[in-house]
Amino acid sequence: MTFDDQIESRVRALAETLVREGLEAVSVADGKIEIELSRSLAHPDELADPPGQQAEAGPGPEYDVLTSDVVGRIHFLRPPVTTGAAVDSDRELAFIEALGVRNPIRSRGAGRVAVVYVEEGQAVDYGAPLFAIDRSRV
Amino acid sequence: MFRKVLIANRGEIALRIIRACRELGVATVAIFSEADRSALHVRLADEAFCVGPGPAARSYLNIPNIISTALITGADALHPGYGFLAENARFAQICSDHGITFIGPAPRVIDQMGDKANAKALMQSAGVPTIPGSGILASPDEAKAAAKTICYPVLLKATAGGGGRGMRAVESSADLSSAFASAQSEAEANFQDGRLYMEKLIVRPRHIEVQILADTRGEVVHLGERDCSIQKPSHQKLIEESPAPGLAPELRDELCNVAVRAGQACGYTNAGTLEFLVAGDRVYFMEMNTRIQVEHPVTELIYGVDLVKEQIRIAFGEPLGFAQSDLSPHGHAIECRINAEDPERDFAPDAGVVTAVELPGGPGIRVDTHLFAGLSIPPYYDSLLAKIVAVGRTRASALSRMERALAETRIEGVKTTTAICRRILEDARFQEGGVPIDFLDEAFMREHVLTEA
Repeated sequence: MTFDDQIESRVRALAETLVREGLEAVSVADGKIEIELSRSLAHPDELADPPGQQAEAGPGPEYDVLTSDVVGRIHFLRPPVTTGAAVDSDRELAFIEALGVRNPIRSRGAGRVAVVYVEEGQAVDYGAPLFAIDRSRV
Repeated sequence: MFRKVLIANRGEIALRIIRACRELGVATVAIFSEADRSALHVRLADEAFCVGPGPAARSYLNIPNIISTALITGADALHPGYGFLAENARFAQICSDHGITFIGPAPRVIDQMGDKANAKALMQSAGVPTIPGSGILASPDEAKAAAKTICYPVLLKATAGGGGRGMRAVESSADLSSAFASAQSEAEANFQDGRLYMEKLIVRPRHIEVQILADTRGEVVHLGERDCSIQKPSHQKLIEESPAPGLAPELRDELCNVAVRAGQACGYTNAGTLEFLVAGDRVYFMEMNTRIQVEHPVTELIYGVDLVKEQIRIAFGEPLGFAQSDLSPHGHAIECRINAEDPERDFAPDAGVVTAVELPGGPGIRVDTHLFAGLSIPPYYDSLLAKIVAVGRTRASALSRMERALAETRIEGVKTTTAICRRILEDARFQEGGVPIDFLDEAFMREHVLTEA
């Protein structure tokens, strides 16, 4: 086994652990190498059903992911909405400017902003995730 | 040259355009639907934007999202490919209104040629032979009078028609009234427009078309003809070749000269195709396609011209890099369309996952395709999977290469037209050349395709 192969097999084993245990980051070190792996849990599929947590008691988070149905540039209202902010139903969070038209992005129910997927001025296409609202945290 | 071209299409033609752009050093933007997220054109383009869900009306025909993508990415030109928005004059105009060069003719020309009656009148005035016909027929009596001048057999056609709907062949005046009534109601049901006109029925013609290129200075050249007589019963082409086998040289010259004249008459720019019916020594203009065509590789292989690159250069305003006298065909080329269709079920489109793909290669074979093993074919679009093109010094060598290439082809997971193309190539009449457009008639299908019940 070459050095590269050793690293690859160790990284792969760590990555599997990361996913299996539902961890966000893991790091190991010995005298020769140090490996640190981290991942974003922001992907809507993972959010909706976080791995390793199905067995826990009580209601889990209910994410409502708002997506774009136009192609344009996203602009936040001022002050810009951030993670953790409480929103009520039908609140305008941002708008997508497409062909000079302002397409408002509104929350579809009360909750807290769990993820902001986009940055001010970013180009977004059809179906792009914009915000995840945790509806279980009103 | 353009900085960036948006490709408003999918499938093999999107790849074809991306390849031309890459060779020209032009950046590319792909658009895709949610059903095409893993498509090859999405991966090969420099940038890719999803413009809508699977159904074409909400994605590949979604004009606001497509134009917005072009503006956001800074694309200064748009190539429409074929199908979808390729012959939509309003879309071409919208592109121009937003400062995006539409790679195709001017909206005015697309509009003129898109209206069949309009195109025919324009061609007549330019001295292009057209199929004798009538204006709109208000009643069966008017139709009878028209048939007298045109001479039977005649064809009743819906002005809004397409795909053979609202169309009736009439052999004699005895059948005219009932044919008129049924064509009218079919047209009303299908197109909410029951208006009919009449044309002379050209018996067992060949479908021969001429490729032209025209630059913005008014130079028009032709790149010979393509024989597209091998058509499915729905009149969609299946096999195309160039030169047209057995076509008399003087008839070929007439077709090509007429095509150039037609291009000049309508102020054409970019690549276009004039379709003709040829019966005996008579040629009749049918329609003009104001776009790149599926079968363009056949011409490219024998003329050594990259038609898609020429389209882009012309749209940028460059003059044609060659004169008519610089263009001459070398050898013979033939194309087979491999579609995800079931020939046993009237060529019904087949959707599903392609589980295995083995494509042909070797001398004289070109394959234009977006296929890969694992590709899921959505039910929403054209069923074309691959174009296999063979070129040889002679027709015989091109045909034997094609037979060899089809034998090498293996596509599993969906029904395809590979086997029927092989049956056609084996047919003695086809090998002789010059067959008419009804070659794939019921008798052929019964003998070679349909399994015994």
